[in-house]
Amino acid sequence: MIPLSWYLALSAVLFTIGVAGVIIKRNAIAMFMCIELMLNSVNLTFIALSSFFRDVSGQLFVFIVMTVAAAEAAVGLGIIITIFRNRESLDVDDVSVLRD
Amino acid sequence: MSDVVTYIVFILLAGLAVGSAVAMVAQRNPLYSAISLIGVFVALAGLYLTLAAPFIAVVQIIVYAGAIMVLVVFVIMLLNVEEEVRRPVRLRYLVPTAVLLAAVLFAEAAFILFYVNDVPAPPSPIAAADASNVGLTASIGTGLFTTYLLPFEITSILILMALVGAMTLARRAAARPQDLIVPGAQVLPLQMVEPARVGDDTPVESGATAEAARMLGLNEQGQTRE
Repeated sequence: MIPLSWYLALSAVLFTIGVAGVIIKRNAIAMFMCIELMLNSVNLTFIALSSFFRDVSGQLFVFIVMTVAAAEAAVGLGIIITIFRNRESLDVDDVSVLRD
Repeated sequence: MSDVVTYIVFILLAGLAVGSAVAMVAQRNPLYSAISLIGVFVALAGLYLTLAAPFIAVVQIIVYAGAIMVLVVFVIMLLNVEEEVRRPVRLRYLVPTAVLLAAVLFAEAAFILFYVNDVPAPPSPIAAADASNVGLTASIGTGLFTTYLLPFEITSILILMALVGAMTLARRAAARPQDLIVPGAQVLPLQMVEPARVGDDTPVESGATAEAARMLGLNEQGQTRE
């Protein structure tokens, strides 16, 4: 049996990569995908702890996180399409002001 | 022997996940990033299988690698996103700060790896008895519809809100009702296309209804001609 800490460490590494991606990337869609990666790393923590504590609650949390991620995808991509329609660009540096 | 195989599988899947994640951040083309992210999702689904969570593994493939990534790829294709341009770094101290923060996070990961090694015992004998059921669809459904019924229902409202929000955000501004939309062209006022129909109040001089209808551009049923 693989120790729990390995899964937690892998999750931490994936989360770090996701945070770095959100900071580094300037493309809105790429930032969005990095956020999905962070959500997935948290899911891995939930599943690992659920499996090691023999408690199904963690997997239910993952289920709900996935639903939230799906809702976030729908709304986030709608926002991205609107930004692109108004600015002809997806670079977040071009969208640094609220006005036109 | 089985233990060795488990370790090998874990290391392969973890390597695939980390490699794909790094590739995702390193890529400049968003489409390649999306494909790398699908690699991460598939590797994580495999890890869920090694953790005896087959239901979540399948949902991971269907929802993440299927639905969400199809949506992302669709938007990338729709918007025809070009590659990210390389720009000079705006703040000079940003890179050392990022490296420092990453080092702190990796130190935390290493701390977990080396000091949190003992697995806690199952909380109760009852929980240990049906341990083999954890992760199966039946136990997840039972939990979802008993203990976590309220969060489940709130989730459905959240999905509804997301649906309405996405449609509101993504639709174009509504055309004015008196305008005519010619496919593939710009919005034209209706008067330009059919002057006889709108705002034309010159009296029709004719002796017959059919003749008047023809002059007005109507057919015999009184409807607009195609």
